[in-house]
Amino acid sequence: MTSMSLKVLVSAAVLSVSAGAYAAGSHSGGHHAGEGDHASDGHHSAGNIGRAGNPEDVTRTIDITMYDNYYEPEVIDVNQGETVRFRITNQGALVHEFNIGTAAMHRSHQAEMMMMVEHGVLKGDHIDHDMMNMDMGNGHTMKHDDPNSALLEPGQSAEVIWTFNEQANLEFACNVPGHYQAGMSGEFDI
Amino acid sequence: MRVFVVTVLVSLLSWAAQAGEYNLTVDRVTIDAGEFTKQGIGYNGSSPGPVLRFKEGEEVTINVTNNLDVSTSIHWHGLILPFQMDGVPGISYDGIAPGETFTYRFPIVQSGTYWFHSHSGFQEPEGAFGAIIIEPEGREPFRFDREYVVQLTDKHPHTGDRILRNLKMSADYYNRQQQTVGDFFADAQSQGFWSALQDRLMWGDMRMMKADIEDVQGFVGMINGKSPEQNWTGLFEPGERIRLRFINSSAMTYFDVRIPGLEMTVVEADGNYVQPVSVDEFRIGVAETYDVIVRPREDRAYTIFAESMGRSGYARGTLATAEGMTAEVPELRPAPLLTMADMGGHSGMDHSGMAMGDMDMAAMESDGMSGTDGAMAMDHGSMNGDMSGQMGGSMAMDHAAMGHAMPEADDNPFYADGSGLIPEAANGGRFLAYTDLRAQRPLYEDREPTREIELRLTGNMERYIWSINGVKYEDAEPIRLQYGERVRFKFVNETMMTHPMHLHGMWSILDVGQDKWNPIKHVISVAPATTVYMETEVDAPGEWAFHCHLSYHAASGMFRKVIVEGGPDSVADGDAEAVDGQEGEA
Amino acid sequence: MIRQMAATSWLALLMAAPLATAQAAVSEQEDTQSARYFWGVQFEEFEYRYSDDDEELGVWKADAFYGTDEFKLRWLSNGEYAIEEQAYEQLENQLVGQMPVSDFFDVKAGVRIDTPEGPDRTYAVLGVTGLAPQWFEVDANLYVSKDGDTSAELDAEYELLITNYWILVASLDATVAFSEDREIGVGKGLVSTETGLKLGYDLIDRSFSPYFGVVHERKYGDTADFAEAGGGSTEDWFAVVGARLSF
Repeated sequence: MTSMSLKVLVSAAVLSVSAGAYAAGSHSGGHHAGEGDHASDGHHSAGNIGRAGNPEDVTRTIDITMYDNYYEPEVIDVNQGETVRFRITNQGALVHEFNIGTAAMHRSHQAEMMMMVEHGVLKGDHIDHDMMNMDMGNGHTMKHDDPNSALLEPGQSAEVIWTFNEQANLEFACNVPGHYQAGMSGEFDI
Repeated sequence: MRVFVVTVLVSLLSWAAQAGEYNLTVDRVTIDAGEFTKQGIGYNGSSPGPVLRFKEGEEVTINVTNNLDVSTSIHWHGLILPFQMDGVPGISYDGIAPGETFTYRFPIVQSGTYWFHSHSGFQEPEGAFGAIIIEPEGREPFRFDREYVVQLTDKHPHTGDRILRNLKMSADYYNRQQQTVGDFFADAQSQGFWSALQDRLMWGDMRMMKADIEDVQGFVGMINGKSPEQNWTGLFEPGERIRLRFINSSAMTYFDVRIPGLEMTVVEADGNYVQPVSVDEFRIGVAETYDVIVRPREDRAYTIFAESMGRSGYARGTLATAEGMTAEVPELRPAPLLTMADMGGHSGMDHSGMAMGDMDMAAMESDGMSGTDGAMAMDHGSMNGDMSGQMGGSMAMDHAAMGHAMPEADDNPFYADGSGLIPEAANGGRFLAYTDLRAQRPLYEDREPTREIELRLTGNMERYIWSINGVKYEDAEPIRLQYGERVRFKFVNETMMTHPMHLHGMWSILDVGQDKWNPIKHVISVAPATTVYMETEVDAPGEWAFHCHLSYHAASGMFRKVIVEGGPDSVADGDAEAVDGQEGEA
Repeated sequence: MIRQMAATSWLALLMAAPLATAQAAVSEQEDTQSARYFWGVQFEEFEYRYSDDDEELGVWKADAFYGTDEFKLRWLSNGEYAIEEQAYEQLENQLVGQMPVSDFFDVKAGVRIDTPEGPDRTYAVLGVTGLAPQWFEVDANLYVSKDGDTSAELDAEYELLITNYWILVASLDATVAFSEDREIGVGKGLVSTETGLKLGYDLIDRSFSPYFGVVHERKYGDTADFAEAGGGSTEDWFAVVGARLSF
């Protein structure tokens, strides 16, 4: 990972990165999606979707550009067991997300994102970081720091490293409310 | 990738292939509304007329031949064009005399869903309208595999002249939802005799009716020229994304639209992209357009159900995987009733003042609170509740409950507090509100308006006279704007009717408290007893119409001429054909 | 002569109205926004009455107007035709100009010509008409005859919606004279009242609404005495059947 993208990451404190690469630091207390505890994490229990990858295992880098409200490319071929580094750039004018999951996972994640909008965390073209990091009781925040996703403001870029399993019907999607339904999703061909 | 499956109507348009040049004839046609058949007016032999498909960036030439024995005109609703091409007799030009051909020529500088209609007499209610689709130069901010125009109308057995005459003789002529003796006894039982009587006396004192929501009942709701029984059908393959371009071409009727079993993602409002918002139901005001994406995944039929706001009628169509399939058609929901909150301007009583006070929420959002989170401010109370209760619990944010939990209606500042018109989704889900609309791509720099113009929407229901600031069109001075200014219009609805206000020639930026993300529209619906703001960048010289789009309100005086002074073409060219100079700068 | 004209002209109007409607199948207005002229023809009553002493009457109460929101020319016609006697017991025509004075009321001024069986009368008319609070339709007129006799008439009507189509109409018409006009049987003071209760059904829009009901007519004071002296009745009950018409 370049120092450039590290800076973005630190300053924004919203990027989701591989848990393996960046431990504690940017994570909200207790809510930590490491490799081992996927099953215990409500959002990612949908099965064998793969896992956060180790940078050392990366065999390929794929550039993904997010526009309003679509990706380029919209179909990505990956191999089973392959670890891919996704370099994601938001070229749109709105906040967008790159999130790896099944349609069902995306659906439930959309409900969370809707909440972020309703609570003013997620604005059209920026994220209210103070609000997002605000302790909402029990040490929980609306922080967006899962290893399978990146939530980017316009102009930002980030990396997601992911190791794929055999899970079919895996999609990458933007779960900002309405965006998925408008067609901002893509398919993984595994 | 994108399969443009064309509507039934478009199939009539073999001539549409010649890009840039279009021919329309204005004809007398027979309209079959199922329950009745009537003579009307159409284009190229049918009503609705053909779907005109333009391309952003092209220069269109449209030859309109008037085959009627009366004068006609065509207004390109929502299109930004030189004012001589705007098609309003008495303002843009003289209209098109019988037997004559008028050539419209203008550049297409936008994309989206629009429509066209006659601006002469009551030709539009009598069928003289059609749809316009403008393909964008770039990629659209959403995906779809098919598209259909869904053009709604309220076809009435009476002619427009007769309807207005009847309304003038008796304003409740068409109202068959008035409160009856039976209703009184029902109320007496539920709320007590004295309370029911007091309520009746209060309304009787104002000589206003709770049931006065739709002036003209007795229509047949139609989709693309088909009555509910004739059942317009759009075909799809399961899993496809379908773009439905809803256009409300009604004379008088607002529709509440839903497709039971499908979530609709609104991606465009009045031709301009909005940040996608998924809803279960939306209300479409007269002359508004909404584009929605739906994605039916099952191999079955889905009903497009459009109930009139006052529930006196409905339009129905079907999305199906094969011709002839139908889905259940829902029952009409009970008719809403206005409340005292909707009576703002009428009663001298305290509650009206209250309602107006509450409504200044809209103003607060943008004025007082430096914008960005005006809407949030209203939520704080409920949000705190949410946080301690729901979220504190087990972080896991109860997904299922959250998405649909927002009681949108209660804090919708586009209805009076306690209004009887606040819509609710039939399935208890999300109902689109103006506050949900955010521009996808702001068209203008956000800047302070140069001045504010107050337009009180006024009227006398009993006389069926409608006006702005208490003055009818024929008695009013035009509204004069200066080219280059940004005007903030303050609509204060002092009537108990809902008015879809339409400014020609320039965009109406609706203030929903989102600054540069405020949606860009061409029709702003103003509910009873509310105050609504819109801003307009005055960037189109010439003379324009500005009116309530309810046909019989516009014809009764709720109409103004707007004159934009100055600008690159300050010397208005009398010759409507000579627009070449305009186009260069437009 | 005048009598005949009046009687036949409303018939002609009745026939002409639908014709005019048909001709206006397409709006002839060249724009949507300019001021318009309106017209209308209505028969609030068009009925057959059968009295408790076997008198049969044909009765109408009609009006036609043409004009704008600001000024209308209105012709009002009122008649009672005794079928057996083949004579007009009452035949009254008014031509008035009418204009708004408040949100709910108009003033009107014009001339009234009475040409029933017996002596004719011509009056100047000054009136107020409109919708009073609680939905009472009110029409109040002051009449001054050529000879200086003055009288006033108050007409009030209330529509009770049994349903949105079955409508019960209660009406009261009272006349007061401020001076005696013996020749036409009018005494000073309260002259007469006519009270009606009619149940109608809107069969075709609001343009054809058949109804049935009862009407009570009563004469008072000197007027009653004059009537008795002339061998007439002072109080009558009628069963009525008829229709409201509107074109």
